[in-house]
Amino acid sequence: MTLFAALASVVFGAMAKDTNQERLLYGLKVFAEFMVIGLVLGWILYFIP
Amino acid sequence: MVKTERMEADEAEPAPGFAWLIGAAAWFIPGVGHLLQQKWWRAALLGGAVWICFFVGMGMGGHLFDLSTENSSVLLQVPPMIANIGTGALYLVSWLFDYGFKDDPAQAARATYEYGNTFLLIAGLLNYLTMLDAFDIAAGRKP
Repeated sequence: MTLFAALASVVFGAMAKDTNQERLLYGLKVFAEFMVIGLVLGWILYFIP
Repeated sequence: MVKTERMEADEAEPAPGFAWLIGAAAWFIPGVGHLLQQKWWRAALLGGAVWICFFVGMGMGGHLFDLSTENSSVLLQVPPMIANIGTGALYLVSWLFDYGFKDDPAQAARATYEYGNTFLLIAGLLNYLTMLDAFDIAAGRKP
């Protein structure tokens, strides 16, 4: 999941925004979102039989 | 967007033939669309991500989709096949050598099988995005 989040956020980050700093921040934000949402969904599904 | 702006947007110049060629090259070999335009870093990041996704997916024992099926409907094969085809030559070479297409129960039993499938699907979808980015750069719509 971490590798997937990293690769996807690299692509999203590299293609979005105008400056390198904005791209880096956007990529980090997308990475964090993937990780948080993945973990939250994982725990929710863990309790669903 | 006001009406005049919308009209200007509608009258935007069509993309040059060169841009379509770049788009096709970007689809066929991930990263090449940016390499041809000397966008080295973008080529490395975007193309590299697609290549890594594909080989990680293959290494995990993922399955590539085509229209042949034994148990399910052909229609169900189409969406994942479209995603897989996004990897261009990687898909075509695998198809030519029949590598990754077989419905093998032993392969499907691997713990990483579904992860591999997902990586292979994502590789193709990310390459579609990469292709569009290369096309936009070639058409002058993006710096």
